[in-house]
Amino acid sequence: MDPSVVARLHNLYWSIGTVAFIIVGSALVGLLARRVTAVRGGSLLTQRRAFWGYAMASPWILGFVIFVLGPSLASLYYSLTDYRLGQAIEWSGLDNYRTLLGGLGAHGRRFMQAMYNSFYYAIVGVPLQIATSLIMALLVARALPGISLFRLVFYLPVILAGGPAILLAWRYMLASNGGFVNVTLKGFADAFTPFDWLYRTFIFLTETFNAFYSGVIRSDPVGPLMYLLPATLGAGLCLVLAAIRDPGLRKGVAATAAEVLVALVALALLRLALLDEVGVHPGLISGVAMLAWFGASRMRAGRSRRSTLIITALLAVAVPVIAAIGGGHGGGYVLPAVLVVVPSLAALLGGRAGLALGVGAAANALYLLVRLVPGQLDEGKLATLGSLISLRSALRDPGTLDYLRTGFAAHAPSPLWLVALLALIATAIAAGWLDRGGTRAVLLGGAGLFGLLTLGSLFDGITFFRQFDVIATATGAVNHHFALFRQVTAQFPDSTRVPLWLGNELWSKPSLILITMWSSGGGMLIFLAALKGVPRVFYEAAEVDGATAWQRFWRITLPMISPAMFYNVVIGMIAALQTFEAVYIIQNTQTEQSIASAAYFLFVRTFRQLEIGQGAAASWILAVIIVVLTVAQFRYSRWVHYS
Amino acid sequence: MSAVATGTDMTAVRGRRGVVGRMRNVLGGRFGVLVIYVVLIGAALFFLFPVAWMTGTSLKTIEEVQQPQLSLFPAEPQWTNYEKLFAERNFYRAYGNSIFTVAMVLLGTVSSIAVVAFAFSRLTWPGKNLVFGLMLGTLMLPAQATLVPQYVMFYELGWLRTFNPITLPGFFAGGAALVFLLRQFMMTLPHELDEAAEIDGANPLQLFWYVILPLSRPGIATITVFLFVGQWNNLVQPLLYLQRAELFTMPIYVAQKNNLQESPIPWQDIMAASVLFVIPVMIVFILTQRYFIEGISMTGSKG
Repeated sequence: MDPSVVARLHNLYWSIGTVAFIIVGSALVGLLARRVTAVRGGSLLTQRRAFWGYAMASPWILGFVIFVLGPSLASLYYSLTDYRLGQAIEWSGLDNYRTLLGGLGAHGRRFMQAMYNSFYYAIVGVPLQIATSLIMALLVARALPGISLFRLVFYLPVILAGGPAILLAWRYMLASNGGFVNVTLKGFADAFTPFDWLYRTFIFLTETFNAFYSGVIRSDPVGPLMYLLPATLGAGLCLVLAAIRDPGLRKGVAATAAEVLVALVALALLRLALLDEVGVHPGLISGVAMLAWFGASRMRAGRSRRSTLIITALLAVAVPVIAAIGGGHGGGYVLPAVLVVVPSLAALLGGRAGLALGVGAAANALYLLVRLVPGQLDEGKLATLGSLISLRSALRDPGTLDYLRTGFAAHAPSPLWLVALLALIATAIAAGWLDRGGTRAVLLGGAGLFGLLTLGSLFDGITFFRQFDVIATATGAVNHHFALFRQVTAQFPDSTRVPLWLGNELWSKPSLILITMWSSGGGMLIFLAALKGVPRVFYEAAEVDGATAWQRFWRITLPMISPAMFYNVVIGMIAALQTFEAVYIIQNTQTEQSIASAAYFLFVRTFRQLEIGQGAAASWILAVIIVVLTVAQFRYSRWVHYS
Repeated sequence: MSAVATGTDMTAVRGRRGVVGRMRNVLGGRFGVLVIYVVLIGAALFFLFPVAWMTGTSLKTIEEVQQPQLSLFPAEPQWTNYEKLFAERNFYRAYGNSIFTVAMVLLGTVSSIAVVAFAFSRLTWPGKNLVFGLMLGTLMLPAQATLVPQYVMFYELGWLRTFNPITLPGFFAGGAALVFLLRQFMMTLPHELDEAAEIDGANPLQLFWYVILPLSRPGIATITVFLFVGQWNNLVQPLLYLQRAELFTMPIYVAQKNNLQESPIPWQDIMAASVLFVIPVMIVFILTQRYFIEGISMTGSKG
């Protein structure tokens, strides 16, 4: 008999067995539920209800235990071992997490690259996708004859993009040499000169941006540019807070910002602690304490707050004891333990919980910063920041390059400092520690300082990149930043250059984004439902007041559909981590690394190389990120306008 | 003085209204509708093009495929590309395997989801809210968290190279989102039905079978089409577990064609297989689009 028929029959027998198992199992669960209810003194009616309820829900209950609960626990265990399929399991502690999150070794680097790729999809792809689906939704929102046909057509790609067939068609259409997309673009470019300029600009910008990004991924030095993100963030936040007149609203925004920033700092510190860059446990204790307090400060006084504080205090005490028993390094943990336990106890016993936790967090932050970044406050480091802030470009004379060797070669001050400082400012304002004048002074001063730093790092960053070849030679740094770009430009001179799409590392990520934009009809439907929910009265009132269509869109439509927007953003970010089919189909050996998502890494590591332990660790990291994103969606959607 | 001021204000307002009104006439009038239709048709071409390109390519000769050219359809349709596929045993196997696994998954999942959704919507029992909350909690848990240990479990059971890992988990009401969707639907049915059935002495099983199930057909149709499309396209699980050419389902069969290191790449053959793969989904989608749109709007509005 044909093997496929044999397999189908085999599956049929097992299916019958499974159904029997579920029926018997359900009856047993139901009987158990009835028994438990009887023991707890439930009436006959309650017992009957318990039997039927549990018996009929138990297909899911059994499935939960067999396919979710059990495997999750097993996965947690595997992630702490070096399990390889078919071999003996050996405990390896946090090694897998250290390898992956630290980017250690070939596989760690691949994992970090996959995370960076997903980050790219989230910051470049998701906005484009949202814009596409919003425009589509606005187009089909009107009641015109035949509009449902267009909705159907716009949604069709979503159905198809889940399967490999249409992805293969895309792969064919995106072939760089003679593929449909390139032939069409080239035809348009030859026909209209203005389009040709646009086309060349698009190619140039895409290639330089992706070359720069791939350099960052491979930890090429970025010099003064590394301050750009925190400095811009700081200047922006200070300005926003200064612009808000209402003190209550300002406190609210500051509290949210502080929460996010503290969480960022704590996560970065936990990662450093995990990598053993500062001795694991002291950093770990303070990091966990800050995370716990940040949770507790938002909770109402009561049971859950109490238990959070007690658990934190117990952890702080337990870790040094365990360390002392194990390796004898207990002494180093005394200070952090005291720093954690005292404010926790004070918050538990006293009335001014917020103050106690605030002082504790400040002490911990100080401890961590001093302990984690020893030497960060020495003269050379401060001078680097000082020269950036004063806009006295240290790159005036790039010939000497001393500044680059000392300032940015390896031991530049960590940008984490800036984020921590910002968190402190936001916390102080949220807690109302400053009076009105003080807040104003701090905010304006902060905005000025961060603004100068932004400008300084931008100016020096530009010089840095213009001198990159000299710098790379002088400092011995490897130059990935533009190596790929030069390779492409050397291979394809300007006149014949075309987008290389799936054939080149610089184009693989934009290709994937193009395909996701094509299939963003799911977001369209969600926007469409939201658009239908906007009351017509608002538009009529605006029209009476003489608002233009543009104003109506920005002032009414956008705020009213902001919940749908937020939902789409979070869903898009989660999808960016989980993209698998598209990556699997359109990758090739050249572009595999540059296009891999986190889910694709997981697939290769676990199911091709059968490294179950590391795969399980990767899946837990992924799961935690996704749960955090989901929780953030519920938590912060309150500042989105819900009508 | 004030009268003059009011007068000028009035003219200003009238003038503005006039401009806005004319704008509205342009956008809302025939010309505006025409513009919108042109944009809509342009967008529709963008969304449909890959499908058309796939179909056109599947009928080309290998020479036509190799030339860089823009013609969508071949000079002469090459039905032999399809005949070649129909002569392949593994193609029939893959199609049969796909139909078989999708049917089993639909059967198991839809029936178990219906029972579970009934328990969560129409019955009252101690601990119901707790269990339901737990189920909603699993919505947050990404599939990746359990993919690895499930693989180990099926490996230990000796179920690699069988269909069991693909179809059997469905029998346990797989897919919390779909349970939620059907439960929401069943909640909308009037509660007098339950009371009437109880007075007639029906037990919950009879209530489910004779009353609620027949009334839930639209909800069941929605989850069925979602499951169908998801399962027909499902690449991950078959890729992990089947591992044998005779057992491949269509998604891997099609994806596998891509991995053949042939030069020049026989795109016309790959696209012919793709067309045959896509046809059932397209038909189901066109016939049942109402359910899709309702279902998505339902899940979206809860977020």
